[in-house]
Amino acid sequence: MSTGDQPPEGMGGLYPFLYPGPGDLDAVLTEALRSTGEKAAEIVRLRRELAESMADELVECAGEMAIRFAAGGRLFAFGNGGSSTDAQEVATAFLHPDHGLSLPALSLTSDVAVVTALSNDVGFDVVFARQLAALGRRGDMAFGLTTSGGSANVVRAFEEAARQGMLTIALAGDRGGRLAELELLDYLFVIPSSSVHRIQEAQTTVYHVLWELTQHALGAVPAPPVRNVG
Amino acid sequence: MPVTSTMQLAVSEAFARRDSAGHALAEDSLRIARACREMADRFHRGGKLIVFGSGGGGTDAAHIAVEFMHPVIMGKKALPALALSNDAATVSGVSAREGPAESFAHQLRRWADPADMALGISRDGDCPGVLRGLQEAGALGLFTLALVGGDGGAVVRERAAEHILIAASDDPAVVKEIHVTVYHVLWELVHVFHDRPGLLGGKETG
Repeated sequence: MSTGDQPPEGMGGLYPFLYPGPGDLDAVLTEALRSTGEKAAEIVRLRRELAESMADELVECAGEMAIRFAAGGRLFAFGNGGSSTDAQEVATAFLHPDHGLSLPALSLTSDVAVVTALSNDVGFDVVFARQLAALGRRGDMAFGLTTSGGSANVVRAFEEAARQGMLTIALAGDRGGRLAELELLDYLFVIPSSSVHRIQEAQTTVYHVLWELTQHALGAVPAPPVRNVG
Repeated sequence: MPVTSTMQLAVSEAFARRDSAGHALAEDSLRIARACREMADRFHRGGKLIVFGSGGGGTDAAHIAVEFMHPVIMGKKALPALALSNDAATVSGVSAREGPAESFAHQLRRWADPADMALGISRDGDCPGVLRGLQEAGALGLFTLALVGGDGGAVVRERAAEHILIAASDDPAVVKEIHVTVYHVLWELVHVFHDRPGLLGGKETG
């Protein structure tokens, strides 16, 4: 029976509990509980760190977004893989919120026909840029998410957005990758973590907070009172 | 008070609102690990993961499916998963003809095999489509897991799933954030058990 006891290169260090000695359910469960507890603590710590380091810039960015929305601007969200699902979340959060103002937002990955047509005929690097070229205009907002900061199609989309005079907002991770070297971004929020999972979790908080502050800046009611359930 | 200073208060308050729910997640560790062991067993038997949610929950379903199908961590095996809410034509088609509550249940009837797993996401636990989907999946003999928030809504009241994980917040945005961590942990622990088939099947000794 294959037990996967031999860690692939580097995996043993990242996930020591994946490769314990003889199969002992209790030991693995104990290790799983410890690991889950650590991850919960890690993301809480990371969010607190962002609350310190990003607060001012988030307030300023939300203010700029509110100005664009008030003037008729629309928001275009984009990303690849898991980040494409975040782009869809951003779009639906603005367009169909649980409370507050409904604002125009579109996720570029939702149109599978256009994404696959451009990828097949031209190349994957141009998908978001071509969509922005066709749909975007001055006063709109480009909201791109990437965990690495290096996605070529996201970088090209921001170049196109900046060319059109859109407000450019990027969420990245680790050290920001190529986006950190791109000097045309209005806002770049980098989650300082090397874990793709923790980066995505923290990015979710960042865009939710941006949404909430944008609503606030537009004079919408603040979030409903929170009651913790057990 | 100028808008900027009320915005400063709002941003601190927004981050602070995340703390307790984030910590509370750790209390679900054992429930999560047990669900993952059962899921790994199902994957070993050839089962696939069928995920569904409405609105923002649909984006979580898509995220979970891609997490399993194309792991971000090099070397981890791809496992079969399908997000029902990605099929906009069928979801809107069933909704228009049979009502929005029937979409996932309909898709499950056509797609589910006995070894499969159903995972429904609803931030307040009251989404009729998720509720019906979980009930249908249970009737078909699938493993059922629900990610909910608030008081768990109808999913909890009607015990619509064998495994129910409740994010400890009433704010749907915070619930989503907790769910993202939960499904990242789910994915990881499924692999922990899947990589060690000797631990699957049978009962825990402890």
